[in-house]
Amino acid sequence: MKFNTLIIGGGLAGLVSGISLQKAGHSTAIVSGGQNALHFFSGTFESLEEAPERLATLLTEAGIRTHYQKGVRLMPLGTFRPAALSLEDISLFPTPKFGKRVLIVNFNGYHDFFSSFLAGGLEKEGMTCRIQQLKLSELEWLEQSPSEMRSVQIARIMDRMWEVVVQEVRVLLKDEDTVILPQVFGLQDTSVPGRIRQGIPAQVIFAGTLPPSVPGLRTQLLLKRRYELLGGTYLAGDEATGAHVHDGVVHSVVTKNLDTHFLEAENFILASGGFFSKGLVSNPFQISEPVFGLDVEQTDDRSGWYHPDFAQDQPYLSFGVKTDAALHAIQNGKPMKNLYAAGSILGGTHPELGTAAGLAIRSAFAAVDQILSR
Amino acid sequence: MNHNEFDVIIIGGGITGAGTQRDCAMRGLRTLLIERSDIATGATGRNHGLLHSGARYAVNDPESAEECIKENRILRRIAAHCIEETDGLFITLPEDDLGYQQTFVDACRKAGIRAEIIDPDLARRLEPSINPELIGVVRVPDGSVDPFRLCAANMLDAKLHGGQVRLHTEVTGFIREGDTIRGVHTRNKVTGEEEDFYAPVTVNACGIWGSPIADLAGVHIGMYPAKGALLVFAHRVNNLVINRCRKPSNADILVPGDTVCIIGTTSTRIPFEECDNVAVTPDEVTLLITEGAKMAPSLSSTRILRAYAGVRPLVSADNDPTGRNISRGIVCLDHETRDGLSGLVTITGGKLMTYRLMAEIATDTVCRKLGIDKQCETATTPLPGSGEQSYESVAQKIWENPSMAQKAAAARMGTSASRILTDNRLDERLVCECEEVSVSEVNDAIERLDASTLTDLRRRTRIGMGTCQGGFCACRAAGLLAKASGCIEKEREGLAHFLQERWKGNYPIGWGDTLREAEYTQWVYKHVLGI
Repeated sequence: MKFNTLIIGGGLAGLVSGISLQKAGHSTAIVSGGQNALHFFSGTFESLEEAPERLATLLTEAGIRTHYQKGVRLMPLGTFRPAALSLEDISLFPTPKFGKRVLIVNFNGYHDFFSSFLAGGLEKEGMTCRIQQLKLSELEWLEQSPSEMRSVQIARIMDRMWEVVVQEVRVLLKDEDTVILPQVFGLQDTSVPGRIRQGIPAQVIFAGTLPPSVPGLRTQLLLKRRYELLGGTYLAGDEATGAHVHDGVVHSVVTKNLDTHFLEAENFILASGGFFSKGLVSNPFQISEPVFGLDVEQTDDRSGWYHPDFAQDQPYLSFGVKTDAALHAIQNGKPMKNLYAAGSILGGTHPELGTAAGLAIRSAFAAVDQILSR
Repeated sequence: MNHNEFDVIIIGGGITGAGTQRDCAMRGLRTLLIERSDIATGATGRNHGLLHSGARYAVNDPESAEECIKENRILRRIAAHCIEETDGLFITLPEDDLGYQQTFVDACRKAGIRAEIIDPDLARRLEPSINPELIGVVRVPDGSVDPFRLCAANMLDAKLHGGQVRLHTEVTGFIREGDTIRGVHTRNKVTGEEEDFYAPVTVNACGIWGSPIADLAGVHIGMYPAKGALLVFAHRVNNLVINRCRKPSNADILVPGDTVCIIGTTSTRIPFEECDNVAVTPDEVTLLITEGAKMAPSLSSTRILRAYAGVRPLVSADNDPTGRNISRGIVCLDHETRDGLSGLVTITGGKLMTYRLMAEIATDTVCRKLGIDKQCETATTPLPGSGEQSYESVAQKIWENPSMAQKAAAARMGTSASRILTDNRLDERLVCECEEVSVSEVNDAIERLDASTLTDLRRRTRIGMGTCQGGFCACRAAGLLAKASGCIEKEREGLAHFLQERWKGNYPIGWGDTLREAEYTQWVYKHVLGI
């Protein structure tokens, strides 16, 4: 199988690259291992202040609703964080005090949404809070098994049953000006969060849950759908295991599922993520990149990988594959001619590209531009 | 009688203190136990969890060996839900001297320990994880013991006999009249509240911290802290305890326990200042993996969950002014006869295995001082939860058709698992998926086992001890604690503290899947949940 560009990694960086290249008329394929950082997406595009024109267009065309305003957002444990460009579900406020009286509604028996922590945080800001549990017969079958009551399972039901929640909340609502609900709405149907907001006569805030993140999964689904609509080939559940490289040029990539059917391409983008996604792997002695054996920025020995204080920035998180200024990945000290690195596999090797979602998007666009200008 | 007056005050919530409180309470004394942190935070919770047969000591320390095998048999009777009867193997590797085997077996038999030389082929079948190149094997009645559970059960029984327990409470000084200790000044480390308690006898059962406590009373006990480092593996690779059949050395014991196995240990003298915060060094990690893989080769490719270290309380012999001569075994000091200070007894030295005997010796001393003539019954009275021999029969009796999670609870709680039987299906919801701990078990630990922090919960329920190391369950459990205490700020700080405490044991072995898990936890707590 031959493509103009083969992308390794189906997360934010991989999908943004794929969509942009397909739109520019390239034929591409994405090899995706399955879970990626979008499953833990907070809903805020970290280190992106506002959407550059091309990102705004890309997201809108994929059906992803965003908004931006410099301010703060409410975090699931009741703290506030600075935020700007965010998914539409995420409420942005100029200051943490967004209301006076707040009704926090949770599903009975759901422990991945932190009502007490939310209330504690809001009370610190001078708001009064009332916590209510919603007992819905629609969720009863989730109670059958002790480990079924999780965000995605609830979200699947809520895609059909969200109107029941609106009705119940209207009954519970007394004199509160704000209602906080768990972020389990609109997994498939993107209009649901907006319609819930219209249906409840108060300001509605969706607060995050333990992962998987429902807005993150939705973003992943929409980007993937858009990519496939543009004709891209999304190889889900596969994993790149090696590559054929001659003279600094990648010819093809070997994957677990396709075995001897090598994936050939003119260009390659490596967007396989950080440690969690196995874009970077480690043993007691070193950190390495498993597909191409690229050079990885790191300290000489393990003692420099960590900060003993969990709360501090951890050095290992800044490690990543080395590239030249044009994001050509470097192997044995030499830039590869047609291999670009994008997303969190870069770690902190390009501080100007930002971190997390910002890094994924900026580096994906930069790699795409390099490929299109060839 | 005043509410803060007791017959005996016990300082220290490790296994020795808990055992002493139980024994005193069973002999009818009004007891108070004071612990500056939580149960089993010192050496009690920082060892292999090996139910010694005594074989390890048979050659060099026959007295300890005899104590061990005696207590081993007693614990099988009184603490069934805290122990696993696995048996153990002492293996001789090609690099070891096979001649030692006979000396070892003779010494075991002399101490009353069943020691049976078995065919290496049989050993390879009994324990497939074992190094196949072994040249000799002896089978002994080793087992494993959960020290947290054992400690909690002793304390619970003391409470059932009217005992009182103050956790997170520090002794700040002694109330002294002339040459007599009348009680203690304390300070609650959570609330800051200061309180005095009175008793004619106080027992110092603080392990290595017994030395600074004695200093507070103005008497000196020469102690040497010896650090021992251990590694927990994420899988239970062995079902029998594996030891090296040679003179005791570093990293030569591999113990299976619950869902994991533990290799250890090392022995390094450390300064007193380091006792509160012992760290495992990269060299120790390397040594433990290398030596461990010699006993069970698959360890070299098994994920390591964490590294931790404990501090052994080595006591220098009273009759040796240089302090170099270390007393092995149990040390019980009556400070009235030793230092002319009445009202204070120190119990230290010894080991997890002999805690009950230590408690009996300390309680005999207390009773003698109080003029009470009552026999010790702890060797024959089962601990709460230990009414049944197998957790499966426990689960069967409580739940008609027990789930895996219910069986796991029965294994942890023994017959006490009936306390978490619930009509509310929502209380069966799992808080910790790695170790299958339910909402009702967490609530039981909060209500009945004095758990007030996440770390307390971990010691009682195994929450956060599994492969996710708290990544998923910590915030759920924190939510339940917040609901119980109503104090959100305390629980938020507690959550941060818990994550830090988990990280402390993760980063020394931070590579491979451990590093993946760490990246996930970093990201989720800092950027998604917003701790």
